[in-house]
Amino acid sequence: MPVDLPMPRIGAVNDDAPRPIKLVLNWGRRYSLWVFNFGLACCAIEFISASMARHDFIRLGVIPFAPGPRQADLMIVSGTVSDKMAPAIRRLYDQMPEPKYVISFGACANSGGPYWDSYCVTKGVDQLIPVDVYVPGCPPRPEALLQGIIRLQEKIASETLSNKAIRAKYAGSRRAAAGEVTRPLLSKTEVTGRDTAGVPS
Amino acid sequence: MSETPCRDVPLQEWTAALAAARDEGFDFFDWLTAVDETDAEETPGFDLVCHLMNSSTGRGALARVLVRTRVPNGQPAPSATGLWRGAAWHERETYEMFGIDFAGFDDGTGLGLRPLLLPEGFDGTPLRKSFVLASRASKAWPGAKEPGEGAGGHDGAAASEKPGRKKINAPGVPDTTWGPR
Repeated sequence: MPVDLPMPRIGAVNDDAPRPIKLVLNWGRRYSLWVFNFGLACCAIEFISASMARHDFIRLGVIPFAPGPRQADLMIVSGTVSDKMAPAIRRLYDQMPEPKYVISFGACANSGGPYWDSYCVTKGVDQLIPVDVYVPGCPPRPEALLQGIIRLQEKIASETLSNKAIRAKYAGSRRAAAGEVTRPLLSKTEVTGRDTAGVPS
Repeated sequence: MSETPCRDVPLQEWTAALAAARDEGFDFFDWLTAVDETDAEETPGFDLVCHLMNSSTGRGALARVLVRTRVPNGQPAPSATGLWRGAAWHERETYEMFGIDFAGFDDGTGLGLRPLLLPEGFDGTPLRKSFVLASRASKAWPGAKEPGEGAGGHDGAAASEKPGRKKINAPGVPDTTWGPR
């Protein structure tokens, strides 16, 4: 069933703040990006590598300890998005609080990559959710992710958040609510009860 | 490593052959799948292949055997779920990927054969050779297909450079008359 999501808002303080305060708020946001890694394939390994001691993206303020999408500011989609996985990505993206950002990491998430002619691979995650930064490569090196994060931070620093803009970005681009692209869950009773009456064929 | 022995059986003896192999000791069901042989010269259809292992072989590599049968297009195959319950997932996958029906399929839910891996509402059987990849219809393969071709050697350019070479005709790639594009 579709879930009614409220219109995204950034709060009265941020909306009415004078320009210098907004600058400070942007500065705070760009250096405390709690990241949620949507790891789907080998690119996720490069993401993990970027988070570890050698490349260490925590020094850029990207914190990979978000317990889930509800506590995350940034989603990094790293790997091959299949049509079967698409509803889950949309659902978790919808659960993230605004303002939220997406980095598409690797050729598969950007455009389908080597699976561009496949029957089951989504041709880019930007068909499902708005993407802020694309990182090319197959898989990209961790340094490429660091560059992508810096580009995203530049973008955050230069943006002016307002309720109007945030609604145009997130709700305006919402192609479907999560519930509409989610298949009905097969509940336990339906399986064990052998009751085929309520099961969609 | 030697080649896995393969037993070809007629379609009617499919479950009997599997049961016989199980009684011989090949009691571990590894996988079941199909091969599209609809373009074969004689008896076109689908090769139904089942890989079994002998779990009591002892130390070292397990003894294994392939059982194979030819299923004509549109004809149901007997189900192996009566011998191994674990065959249900494999038969469901073969059903959705190749469109092969399994008579007597029972996975304990009573729901019958239904898609397993494909997204909801997917139309078609993608592992059949006749399945058309729509992306390939709208865009040529971006690069060389054979060694020695120049970068960006598309269909037309490659054919004109090497008149003696047979044109590559990969499954899933529609010819120019396929449409609308």
